Amino acid sequence: MILLWLLLIPFVAGPLAFVLRRRPFMEAVNLATFALVACLAAALSAQVLQRGPVSFWDGFLYADALSALIVLLTAFVALVCSIYAVGYFRHDEKYTFFDENEEVLGELAVYKLRKYYSLMPLFVFSMLLVALANNLGILWVAIELTTLASVFLVTFYGRKTSLEAAWKYAIIGGVGLSMALFGTILTYYSAHRIQGTETLAGLNWSVLVQNAARFDKTTMRLAFILILLGYGTKAGIAPMHTWKPDAYSEAPVPVAAMLAAGVLNCALYGLVRFYVLTSKCLGPQFGSQILIVFGLLSMGVAVPFVLVQRSFRRLLAYSSIDHGGIMVLALGFGGPLGILGMLLHMTFHSITKPLLFFSAGNIQQHLKTDLFRKAKGGLIHSMPWSGAGFLMATLAVTGSPPFSLFQSEFTILRAAFGGGYLLPAILFVSFLVAIFSGFLVHIANLVLGPDPGLPPAETCRWKKSSLLGLATVIIVLGFWIPAPLFSLIQSAADLVVSAR
Amino acid sequence: MSFIDDPQFGNTMITLMAALVLVLQIATVGQRWLITTIRIFAVQSFFLAAIAGTIAFFNQANHLYIAALLTLVLKAILLPFLLERTVERVGIRKEIEPLINVPLSLLISGCLTLVGYVVAESFYHPEETSAQSALGHNTLAVAIALFLIGFFMMLNRRKALTQVLGLLSMENGLFLAAISLTYGMPLVVELGIFFDVLVAVMVFGILAYRIGESFDSMDVSKLRSLRG
Repeated sequence: MILLWLLLIPFVAGPLAFVLRRRPFMEAVNLATFALVACLAAALSAQVLQRGPVSFWDGFLYADALSALIVLLTAFVALVCSIYAVGYFRHDEKYTFFDENEEVLGELAVYKLRKYYSLMPLFVFSMLLVALANNLGILWVAIELTTLASVFLVTFYGRKTSLEAAWKYAIIGGVGLSMALFGTILTYYSAHRIQGTETLAGLNWSVLVQNAARFDKTTMRLAFILILLGYGTKAGIAPMHTWKPDAYSEAPVPVAAMLAAGVLNCALYGLVRFYVLTSKCLGPQFGSQILIVFGLLSMGVAVPFVLVQRSFRRLLAYSSIDHGGIMVLALGFGGPLGILGMLLHMTFHSITKPLLFFSAGNIQQHLKTDLFRKAKGGLIHSMPWSGAGFLMATLAVTGSPPFSLFQSEFTILRAAFGGGYLLPAILFVSFLVAIFSGFLVHIANLVLGPDPGLPPAETCRWKKSSLLGLATVIIVLGFWIPAPLFSLIQSAADLVVSAR
Repeated sequence: MSFIDDPQFGNTMITLMAALVLVLQIATVGQRWLITTIRIFAVQSFFLAAIAGTIAFFNQANHLYIAALLTLVLKAILLPFLLERTVERVGIRKEIEPLINVPLSLLISGCLTLVGYVVAESFYHPEETSAQSALGHNTLAVAIALFLIGFFMMLNRRKALTQVLGLLSMENGLFLAAISLTYGMPLVVELGIFFDVLVAVMVFGILAYRIGESFDSMDVSKLRSLRG
């Protein structure tokens, strides 16, 4: 039942917000929805930990530890984003930031807010469906739905540049996902010849994984490459990453945070599901080499763009490409440590990334630009909370101790050395160092320095509470991982490893 | 036994229609009028529905009838209608010069068809194909060719709507691959995919319309202000 409610609540909340129209109501609906979803996600994780996989409707919806982890992360990110969004959009509305060209501001603001508050729950619905669908075809449908639900969120501000970003996002995503669909069809084909079923269960992951060892090897090889290209495009792995900086910098901050910390996980989740099937069929060696190449390529592509970046919103997108690369790389290293490292990294990344986006969003709203050259530095004087938050999130996200991403990156490094991947390990560390230094120089220049005499930014309850709450969670996670969370991650990793 | 029940006849029909689908696909490569491209797509989808119907008939795969019907209604009628309306509203009827000229594009499409046949070869398992199940296996090469030519069209063309058509013909290729390999995906998945395609075309239509409006052209190569 819990699985059904998880999907039903956001699915209903979207149209409900659309009907209600008035801003306070729409805000309330969103907050209540995501708070409920977060509670349900926690309940689901507890249930999965205690009693193993949960399924519904003859296994149409299915949640094991891996799905529960993704659901939990998505719900967490959605909740913090919805809290932040209230303050963010109120600020936008107050300073008529929505569109410079339009005259009817009151009407337009309502229209735009309505768009955001009704599409966001549907966006979250599609992400939850990705994690909960057992059928790999439905998984594909849900991932495509995440694109479709978010295209008009990317065009939110209606600028020419946002149209450009949305077009790239939709077209590149569409082509990528059609490759993933081809991969799914091929997987179904190779399963079809073994299982001979034409029912719905023929594409259910929980059924496929039992027979995967007998699948046709040639077909699975091609299928995995297509899936990697397809879901890799959605995750923004190089060289299919070009939509990412545009979409991340043009979308409103809560949407960008959701893309970076939610959709990335969903796309990688799809990849992991197929990785399990492939490594059962072809042995783990086949997937690893390709994954390592793609992972390192993404990290490597991010380096120069981080070093010479001119806009801090685009900088965040390159950081996301980098982290997507790290997770793919960790999956490639494989072994108990590599998989554990990947899932730890996914968890910590999803918790840390929103803080980076929120403080960047506050700074952008204050300065009315996202270019480094127009910012004079010394932001810590005019906006102490956001400035400090940005600096802290930068340190955390680039993996400096004591923050938790250091632990996951260290785990991945151990997996690399343990697996005997010497050269990839060396490249991994050097890319990490380069990105760390590039990031830190940019952000330190922006935040620190003498007071340029900007007026102090006004603080809003919603923005501040989401910022401080997240910062507290990040600091606590640096020193202490709650035992249930860790055992959830551990059992999700076991699930992937045991399939080998 | 009348000739209609003869699998050999069905096989011939499917091969014939698959060949027509491929010819239509190559015809779009050289086509510059947007409306004509859309109509060719509609006819192509009609043949696709016919292929699905034929395979359903000879294999008693009842769920494929539904897929065939949906293809007919959605891809041969509804989507072309929506796309034509977008063309009317934007008022841009002709594609500008593609990046690669028409003769060379046709040559490339020919090569891609060849690639389709080479790739499809590896899926051919003569030892286990009875006359009944072999039905439609020869269309896999056409399916892969459709997919590749659609992809090439997206790279080669610059109008927003032609790119959408390229994406749709890639999807047609995938549908053909699915019905020729496994007699279609499970019905729920098929329905989900149709729903996605429908929503995607609406989303793309609105986006293309707004791009046409704010850039005074649907030329997506003008979308280049975001860099770095």
